[in-house]
Order: sequence, then structure tokens, then C-alpha cells
Amino acid sequence: MKLLVFILNNEEYLEEVLEVYIEAGVTGATIIDSEGMGRFLTYEVPLFAGFKDFMKGNKPYNKTILSVVRDDATVQQLKRLLDGKIGGFDNPGTGIMFTLPVDWAVGLVPEDEEV
Amino acid sequence: MGVFTRMKKECILLDPKVKDKEQLLRQMTLLLAEHEGAAQPDQLYEDIMKREEMGSTCLGKGCAVPHARTEALDRTVIAAARLTPPMKLDSPDDQPVSLIFLMAGPTASAGLHLKILSKLVRLLNEEPFREQLLAAPDEEAFYQLLCDKESNYG
Repeated sequence: MKLLVFILNNEEYLEEVLEVYIEAGVTGATIIDSEGMGRFLTYEVPLFAGFKDFMKGNKPYNKTILSVVRDDATVQQLKRLLDGKIGGFDNPGTGIMFTLPVDWAVGLVPEDEEV
Repeated sequence: MGVFTRMKKECILLDPKVKDKEQLLRQMTLLLAEHEGAAQPDQLYEDIMKREEMGSTCLGKGCAVPHARTEALDRTVIAAARLTPPMKLDSPDDQPVSLIFLMAGPTASAGLHLKILSKLVRLLNEEPFREQLLAAPDEEAFYQLLCDKESNYG
């Protein structure tokens, strides 16, 4: 099992991203409103106000999507589908995706009920 | 990454007779022009003042870090000043300011500029360090404190 974390920089893609999640077999996820460090520093901390131009092009707010996936194949399929839908992760501004091992969990949807 | 190692002793101004922020920043800019080879001091001063107009660069606790990215420089440079008595500026804690570190660097070096600025803020947050700087008898001692601080604590 893995915890899959996806920080989606362009919130406009959220609906399409979740459709891709379902298609890949990830039927549950938690979506968190999140904010980039650059936006917070340059707009909320006066000392760093001079760096607003440096942040140009970056999205101020983003979505963090957390989900538990059972196997690596699901992650790979998701990655492939996302590449086709929202552009490659090599493009700056797409987002960040990574996994962490999960050694124990309860409350997950039973495997035989998954889509 | 060095902060104070970028500084020259000649760019320290202790207890200058200045009546306002503009005069102080002008004097510090001229120091940078003279000792760090800033070829266009007027442009540098204007860029620093433009940044000041965007919002306060005071940190509180009697410190301020005015700064600017500018076309007038090809590397990042720093000047320091100590004011006795301290000057009333736009500080978040309303404390008058006595320690000022002016930093300026090329427009394209935003990442480096941010790193240096953040480290400077961290070092100035340490009260014993601020007290030592306020008590330094001359520029030489002030400069030595900066060098020691950096070599001891990075």
C-alpha cells in the first residue's frame, strides 16, 4: 500500500484529474485546499513583497489530493493517464506527485468493492 | 552560503548623522558605489526606494533589511549601519530601528537574493548577536562580530 500525494498546481484541472483517478482504479481521495510557499511569502510577509515578479506564472493556490493505493501498477497507470490529460510533470507548474509507503491502515474501501 | 563574507569592512557605517531614512539609504548606497563598484548609485538608490514603497522592510526588534534587485549591480552586495539614537521607521512592533543591513543584487539573482535575505533575518533574530552589534566600539569590532557569527553558526 502507498500513500499517493498529488499537489495539483492548476486547480482548473481538478475535475479531469479525479476522473482519471477513477479510471485508474483510485476510487477514494481527500482533496485539500493548499497554498504555495511563494504566494504566502510575497503577499503575506512584507519583507518579501519585492519578489512578486519572481513568482509570476506560478499558481497562488493549489489542491493537494491524498489517496491510498494498493499497488504500484495503479500509480503507474495514473501517472500515464495524467500525463495525457494535464501535460507532463516535467512542465513547470503542472504539480508534484509522490508516494510514501503505508504499513498500516483502516477505513479503506474493501478491495472487492473497488471500481 | 555566505552573508557577511560578502561584506567589506568599508561598507559599515556606525552612528552616522542622518535625519531620515532617505538620507541614511543614500549614504549607504554611496558606500556601495565607492567600495563595491556599483556603477550607477542613483539607479541603485531609486530601486531601493521603489522597494521601500512596496512595503516595510523592518523586521522588528530594532532591525531593518532594505533591499532591492537592480540592473545597477552584477553581484549581490551588502552594507550595514548602526544608528544611535535609533530611528523611528515603519516597524511591525513599533520599536525604533538601530541596525540596518542594506542588500542589493542583480535582478536575475532572485533565488540567491531570497536565500541571503532569509539567513540575514534568522541571524538578526538572535538577541545576544544584536546586543553585541549595538555595543561594538568601532567598525573593525562590528565587522569582526559579523565574521565570527558566520564562521561559528553558518
